[in-house]
Amino acid sequence: MNADIKTPAWMTDRLKARSRYLWILLFLIAAFFFIAVVNICSGSVAITPEEVFEVLFGRVGEETAQYRIIWQIRLPRIFLSALLGGALALSGFLLQTFFRNPIAGPYVLGISSGAKMVVALVMIYFLGRFREVSSSVLILAALFGSLMVTGFILLLSRKLRQMPILLIAGIMVGYICSAVTDFVVTFADDSDIVNLHNWSLGSFSSVGWSNVHTAFWIVSVAFLLTFLLSKPIGAFQMGEAYAQSVGVNIRLLRVAVILLSSILTACVTAFAGPISFVGIAVPFLIKKVLHTAKPIIVIPTLFLGGAVFCMLCDLIARTAFAPTELNVSTVTAVFGAPIVILIMLKKRQEY
Amino acid sequence: MSEWHLETKNLSVGYNGKALIHDIALGIGKGEIVTLIGPNGAGKSTILKSLFKQLRLVAGTVWIGGDDVAQMTYKELSTRMAIMLTERVRTELMTCRDIVATGRYPYTGRMGLLTAEDEKIVQNAMEIMRVEDLAEKDFNRISDGQRQRILLSRAFCQQPEIIVLDEPTAYLDIRYKLELLDILRHMAHERQITVVMSLHEIDLAQKVSDKVICVKGDTIFRYGPPEEIFRDEAVRWLYDLGEGAYDVSFGSVELPTAEGEPEVFVIAGGGSGIPVYRRLQRQGVPFCTGILDPGDVDYRLAKHLAARVIAEKPFCAIRDETFREALETMRHCRRVIDAGAPVGESNRRITELIEAAKADGTLETPGEERI
Amino acid sequence: MKIKFAALLLALLTVLFSGCSAAEAGTAAADTAAAETAESESSGAAVSVPAESEETSADPDAPFIDGLVYVSTMELDDAKCFDVYFYEGGYAVIRISDARSYLVVPEGAEVPSGAESRFIVLQQPLKHIYLAATAAMCQFDALDALSDIRFSGLEADGWYLENAARAMEEGEILYAGKYSAPDYELILSEGCDLAVESTMILHSPKVQEKLEELGIPVWIDLSSYEPEPLGRTEWIKAYAVLLGKEDAAEEIFAVQKQYAAELENFVNTEKTVAFFYINSNGAIVTKKSGDYIPKMIEMAGGRYIFSDLGDSETASSSVTMDMETFYASARDADFLIYNASIDEPLESVDELLAKNELFADFKAVREGNVWCTTKYLYQASDVNGEIVHDIHLMLTSDDGTEVQPTFLYKLY
Repeated sequence: MNADIKTPAWMTDRLKARSRYLWILLFLIAAFFFIAVVNICSGSVAITPEEVFEVLFGRVGEETAQYRIIWQIRLPRIFLSALLGGALALSGFLLQTFFRNPIAGPYVLGISSGAKMVVALVMIYFLGRFREVSSSVLILAALFGSLMVTGFILLLSRKLRQMPILLIAGIMVGYICSAVTDFVVTFADDSDIVNLHNWSLGSFSSVGWSNVHTAFWIVSVAFLLTFLLSKPIGAFQMGEAYAQSVGVNIRLLRVAVILLSSILTACVTAFAGPISFVGIAVPFLIKKVLHTAKPIIVIPTLFLGGAVFCMLCDLIARTAFAPTELNVSTVTAVFGAPIVILIMLKKRQEY
Repeated sequence: MSEWHLETKNLSVGYNGKALIHDIALGIGKGEIVTLIGPNGAGKSTILKSLFKQLRLVAGTVWIGGDDVAQMTYKELSTRMAIMLTERVRTELMTCRDIVATGRYPYTGRMGLLTAEDEKIVQNAMEIMRVEDLAEKDFNRISDGQRQRILLSRAFCQQPEIIVLDEPTAYLDIRYKLELLDILRHMAHERQITVVMSLHEIDLAQKVSDKVICVKGDTIFRYGPPEEIFRDEAVRWLYDLGEGAYDVSFGSVELPTAEGEPEVFVIAGGGSGIPVYRRLQRQGVPFCTGILDPGDVDYRLAKHLAARVIAEKPFCAIRDETFREALETMRHCRRVIDAGAPVGESNRRITELIEAAKADGTLETPGEERI
Repeated sequence: MKIKFAALLLALLTVLFSGCSAAEAGTAAADTAAAETAESESSGAAVSVPAESEETSADPDAPFIDGLVYVSTMELDDAKCFDVYFYEGGYAVIRISDARSYLVVPEGAEVPSGAESRFIVLQQPLKHIYLAATAAMCQFDALDALSDIRFSGLEADGWYLENAARAMEEGEILYAGKYSAPDYELILSEGCDLAVESTMILHSPKVQEKLEELGIPVWIDLSSYEPEPLGRTEWIKAYAVLLGKEDAAEEIFAVQKQYAAELENFVNTEKTVAFFYINSNGAIVTKKSGDYIPKMIEMAGGRYIFSDLGDSETASSSVTMDMETFYASARDADFLIYNASIDEPLESVDELLAKNELFADFKAVREGNVWCTTKYLYQASDVNGEIVHDIHLMLTSDDGTEVQPTFLYKLY
């Protein structure tokens, strides 16, 4: 073996790419912990980091306000916003790859409209007649609405083989649900309208550990399944025909992608209401930054990216104007949209 | 067990269970290049899509090496057949290497990770297609010709027995067309990979294929080697062409000739007439020409383009009757162009024609045009 | 591979539903506990007749509490949505019509065993109250108990009640976020012993559940469900029990009763009144015939223009209709009152006409009997009697006498 064989150019490019992925992943992990810590230590009540430490490691009594604040108010929110942020990013990525369209987001198939419709019906009719419902009922309502739309889209996808047509069908379904919601709202009290509107802007307020628990299982299973689908999704990035030619079962993949992204979105909508923008912006940003769309690398990275982004937005939502709490969708849009525009401008030579 | 590598029997193809083309019976041997030709919408793509299972067969069977394709899973098929399509693939942030690497998917594990062996195969494929320096470039940023070669490398990585290509030369300029077909020929002959493709360029189809399939209407019009297909009226009928539009010997396509009484007489021979004929045809001027030897290259083109061709018997000197005919025809025309034919033993008398024209005052040399 | 995949998805969905139903089971358990409470109350009644106390007449509805001796039931003239039962030692049970029962335990006293599972226990003194039911503030103000409120669900400038606004500006009452997104941290850090919520909280059950999870009992003000106007005002007595000010409440209520009593023998003027506002879609929102505002109009000596409007099954008190329908019925109403507590108050009749020119054709407009309520009418439910009186003033003013009601003003 000659000692002076040069590493071929392509190999150094590969190494550069790989180290890039590694650095970004490390950065995101560090950002995750940093923002999580900042989140635990921030709130309308000042708790010093030392006190936080003591609470976390059980040196403080369970009845104290500080314990309660950290364990029952802040921590569930942090976990849930991280989980659901990752879920949204993942769902957006699946749909963008599937429809080969960068503006496809988790709600493009009408899922949030379906959830809002069922929540509106429950709020207006159930509350009208039965006076009281538990929060689980509203959660199940949102879940049911989301999955109902999903089921309908899956049925449509058997007949509508072409992706752009399915996309349009999804958008139309969204419109139908919105129309039904508006119809129902015409007969509603002002208080119903206000509350429905509040719900539809999304919020992590008042979340509890049981929510976190359920969301954790749903999201982690969905994440795992998505990650295991990296290979067929990667093949799919060249289009259906080529994917099929290397052995991918397109029909099954279609069902899997729609189902997974819908379950992820349904989970988010159920526990926190519709949160806009994360599902479109985060996959976009992560892919730009990584310079690749390979699922096996992109999927874990964008889950982390979504988690970090959402945690940050929730932090801002609850502390920026305390004690008033902003809706998290407001923050994600206001915060994220300029960043996306900036990135697009910087890279405009490509287009 | 049939001797054919790719065989179809009673094959009907179409959409939604309705047959567009039926009774397709083909037998393609290993390492053969088979091309489908036919007008747009005839069903060439439909047949190809049915072969690689993107479309469900309406009826009939397709066998590869004796195995029924309908019984195969997509995964099995993917180790035996690779494809290349016309449409431009829009990819996002995929390097050329990524694209080529997808050709290894039938052989990689659950997560699609490439082994060192796979990497070598990818690198090798790119080197064969001479695209290895494009490896890290974004697929969307290379030229069309390079793109097709990348897609071909990818197909090659699949280590298929058959490659099916749907109009692979569609967006390529002449150089890349030739390159691509050359590579295909190499793959077929050296590596015994069967190539089935559709082409619009019938001249190229004539030159590169071992067998040609003519698709028109609801059946296969003809199937056989190019010598049999590219004969008489076949191509004209296939494409509904007018007279003289396609030269079978040269595989060249010609635009329709000008109508009307000939205005110009071109004195040509030895290849000198070709540029003049072309110019006149472009200007839409009907013309006559002579005195040509039938083996002359000018003759071949004049046959398509000229209203009348005065020719002598092969390898003979110009006889009187021929000369008189030429003179008469020349005098019927308003203008005479001396194309500048080389004069030799057999066509010495054209100088007389030229003198006559000069005396008549109708002579022009090319470049000196009187309107 | 496909089977494994499908199995995993199925597992996912199962976890999903079991997770949710687990959460729901939690609340279902609470619901059954409440239902059991109701049952045991009625079955315990048989036992609750104490052998010792011959003077007190036993109330069969009063819940039996081990260790507590029933004394009396609060007399309520108009309120139908709550009941109060008194026990020896200063204990009281307030039962709200939706089956929530609160056990008020006096300062320093013990909580009876087993009470936690049957009642929502409120240990006096209640000095750090989070008030997110803006309609209840007036009751606290009337009882001079603003100092017991520490947190408000409305910002300082949202209060019409001067005392409330001042207390917020001086920092005695802190803004703690609106009812749908309270600042739990703030509330917890200072300690809160009671959250007083309005019916809006029913639309955000997760807030209620969170408050309860954090150990803060939740009181839902259902006075808006009271069919009688004075029934709403009578809720002051319920709050009085929480705050230990029963006598003051009796006096205040008596004043309001007086206003109504004065009008008891008044012969109805038979003048018709319409009460409405125009929403952002241009539709008319008016009250159901069975609602308390039409009742106040009747008490004041007028007639509500709609005699049979609205479905009594639903909880909402308003009915939305288009201008045409409203015009058909209300065109000949003698008086129009614009409900400015939802929409902005009007300054002049022209503003009303600007909203819809058809109003020019209304009898009340032509005769100059268009009135408007003040913006904070809903923050004044403690003085419904006065409001009835104001409406009475309006009804008797069309003969030209100058009147100055507090909660209504005439539009010119």
